[in-house]
Amino acid sequence: MGDTPASQISEAMDRLWQKFRPQMTERVATLRAAAAKLASRACLTQEEQSNAAADAHKLAGVLGTFGLKEGTELAREAEGLLEGSLDASPATVKRLSSIAEQLNAMVVSRG
Amino acid sequence: MHRILIIDDEDDIREVAALSLETVAGWEVMVASSGAQGLARAATYQPDAILLDVMMPGMDGPATFRELQKNPATAHIPVMLLTAKVQATDRSRFADLGVKAVLVKPFDPMALSQQVAEILGWN
Repeated sequence: MGDTPASQISEAMDRLWQKFRPQMTERVATLRAAAAKLASRACLTQEEQSNAAADAHKLAGVLGTFGLKEGTELAREAEGLLEGSLDASPATVKRLSSIAEQLNAMVVSRG
Repeated sequence: MHRILIIDDEDDIREVAALSLETVAGWEVMVASSGAQGLARAATYQPDAILLDVMMPGMDGPATFRELQKNPATAHIPVMLLTAKVQATDRSRFADLGVKAVLVKPFDPMALSQQVAEILGWN
């Protein structure tokens, strides 16, 4: 454990990331599944859409705290796409898929 | 030493916020994972301030705040809402509830305690 609050926080945040990485991965998986289903031209159930929006919201609220500020921005965008009446146009689905894959890469590479 | 109660259904946020406030500021932190649990802990623990998440299942942040205000044992405790919503309309709506402040998630673990201290005039 480091001597300064900054080093203590940094080390503790790395430990917490390891602890919570499975739930980050699970949230990203919800987004990936929603994007994949839309890409196959199937409709999301209301529950699937609501769960995906909620997980995007949770990711937006926490990724930046672990240093993944771009992840927060992407998750916010995904939340916006998934809220309310879903626009399942090809452009939106493509963007949602891209966001989900970028978030997955970030969570994997954070270590 | 200041005493803070964190009410948030997300365990990652609870743990990071508690770590931040304990390690950086040396404050005493208690946590609750729901609005109902938060109401009980606020009444018995009598914290100096409460960090309250907006979006929680069951009793959400605004509903929890209203219940805190109704109870004479907790009505005096300053409450700061935590939200991942960044739209000005959302923040304005939350601020209109009468809370002390609205803090946006994600927060910087190194800066959270300073932000809270400034809002509450603890500097």
